[in-house]
Amino acid sequence: MEWIADKWDIVVQLYPFMLKGLWLTFQISIISIAIGSIIGFVLGVAKTAGSRLLNGFINLYLHLLRGSPYLVQLYIVYFVLPSTGIAWLSFDSYTAAIVSLSLYTSSYVTEIVAAAIHAVPSGQAEAARSVGMSKFRTYQHILVPQALKLTIPPMASIYVIVIKSTAVLSVIGISELTRQGEVAIMRMPGDIMFIYSLIALFYFIYCYPMLRLSKWAEGRFGTFGGGDR
Amino acid sequence: MMWLQNFFNFRLVSEYAGVFAEGIWQTLWISAVCLALSLVLGTVLALARMSKNPLLWRPVAGYIQFIRSTPLLVQIYLVYYGLPTIMPSGMLFDEVQSGIIALTLHTSPYMGEIIRAGIGSVARGQIEGALSVGMTPRQTMRYITLPQAIANVMPPLLGQTAVLIKDTSLLSIIAVFELLGAGLLMFSETVVATESYVTVAVCYLGIYAMMLVLSGIVQNRLGGSAWQAN
Repeated sequence: MEWIADKWDIVVQLYPFMLKGLWLTFQISIISIAIGSIIGFVLGVAKTAGSRLLNGFINLYLHLLRGSPYLVQLYIVYFVLPSTGIAWLSFDSYTAAIVSLSLYTSSYVTEIVAAAIHAVPSGQAEAARSVGMSKFRTYQHILVPQALKLTIPPMASIYVIVIKSTAVLSVIGISELTRQGEVAIMRMPGDIMFIYSLIALFYFIYCYPMLRLSKWAEGRFGTFGGGDR
Repeated sequence: MMWLQNFFNFRLVSEYAGVFAEGIWQTLWISAVCLALSLVLGTVLALARMSKNPLLWRPVAGYIQFIRSTPLLVQIYLVYYGLPTIMPSGMLFDEVQSGIIALTLHTSPYMGEIIRAGIGSVARGQIEGALSVGMTPRQTMRYITLPQAIANVMPPLLGQTAVLIKDTSLLSIIAVFELLGAGLLMFSETVVATESYVTVAVCYLGIYAMMLVLSGIVQNRLGGSAWQAN
């Protein structure tokens, strides 16, 4: 009983502190997925437009972001870009976090949007073109509305990847959930296992419903066999 | 070419070539050990997850959800900082051992889910055939189902291996010396961010390119679907 009372005291003490970290995690992950989705949407649509040269560049962009760990990308955005001497590339840690995470997210979104557009039956686009719609109107009215529905299940699991990636931001001193936990441990060094479990629980409460949503959306909107993690 | 030399000091990087080679070697062997362990543990998890006994599959399903819903970094901290506080004193894993344990615990549910999908993809007739010629269920699993299952899911297994190699970079945070650790060492000694971190990125991209080539070969051999780099 004493053990429970003891741990409960810790929870009550740390609760507001952890909540502050969770709020920052939420904020950064939402902003990053929003920006990343916009970039990814544009690149994904461009990837299906059929220009060889453009596709080459987009694939290079995807391979660069997919072939290196996110932590390395974060170091490059935070430490290497300022040393180029270009003033507007000298980010503070918060901006560096959002820039790197948005780029990282966009690599996932690009592939999903492109795959979803490819998954729309080709007869749809052919019919639209044959009744005289322009290429742009075909995308606007036929392909994108049908494709967007397909992206919902994988987007939910990508959001989970983004949330989990924010934990890495603690290394550049962003006081998000993981960093707040580290600081809490410096103040109460006796309860390392308990405090880290508490952090894990916070992440779990945040991420698990998203994974369930993804699973539910798969049943509702169907899958096209890509991007699911 | 002057601007390139101003931007990137090749001579400095060549002085650290040995350090980076050591880092690449560490990254590769740690990844290989984690891959082997997580394939074994993943197969066990997949079989347990498919069991009809709720006492077996429910805890396993919970474990899989827990791993998928929490960040790898927190899992590494739990193993590296948390585990020693509840272990009997005298038993202490060093940072490499802790890193391998954490990465294996993290990767095996992903591997397990892929293997489970593979087992589901083996044709029903194969299993029935094996049983009807008198193989026990255990033999059927060992000689008929699992080999075909693994061949079927080779592309996603390779994709997950690429993720595992990238994930080893997080071990640098608990002071394991690997590829990113080599970059951090160079940065701490020379204070040139560009050379240190861009070299690390280039090395990772090289490993990734080799994985792409390897997956192309495997894909040709098995005639399976295209590999997706997650």
